[in-house]
Amino acid sequence: MSEAELRLWLADALVVAGVAIMTVGVYGMWWMPDLYTRLHAASKAVFLGVIPMLLATALVGDPEVGPRALLIAAFLLLTTPVSAHAIARAAYLAGERMETPGAIDESGHLRPARDGDEPAGEGL
Amino acid sequence: MQQFVFYAATVWMTVLLGVCIAQLLVARSPATRILVLDTLTLILVALLALYSLFTRSYYYLDAALILALLSFVATLTAARYYGEGSPFA
Repeated sequence: MSEAELRLWLADALVVAGVAIMTVGVYGMWWMPDLYTRLHAASKAVFLGVIPMLLATALVGDPEVGPRALLIAAFLLLTTPVSAHAIARAAYLAGERMETPGAIDESGHLRPARDGDEPAGEGL
Repeated sequence: MQQFVFYAATVWMTVLLGVCIAQLLVARSPATRILVLDTLTLILVALLALYSLFTRSYYYLDAALILALLSFVATLTAARYYGEGSPFA
């Protein structure tokens, strides 16, 4: 198998892997009970699913494609945690409850407790 | 084989896009909607990367980069509006 064919096969395999990981992410986002767990599934899995596809694009295309794909990957690597933190913080400040069973709110100093909240933990 | 993978991956990513749109319509809190919009644009970035791969042109990656940038800024701004009332708090 020549090098070009090997590259094509590798690109196909990477695309399939990326699509599979993104499917897991979207599935988790649909079935999770709570915003915070949905955030967990969506940000990590979707980001990790985009990376193999960009890698496949960098493998197969012209020489101009490589730096662009790398730029997108680096940008997403740096900004996905920041977006996730901003969403989680906004939801917490607006009063989103944690619906998963056994969730303990350990940072009760930002928001006063309401009826039905678990008591604030003492920290680990 | 390449053509089949391209079509199958594009169709499946569009199905994922539809699932995200359905999630957007049934979401109850604005924070969930912000999260789903961010995920939507990342799926679009992946679709653009897929298209760039199979048509061997690098123009779509420029569009993908701009989409990623704009989605990041929009997510931060929307989250700040929802959580703290103003993005400059």
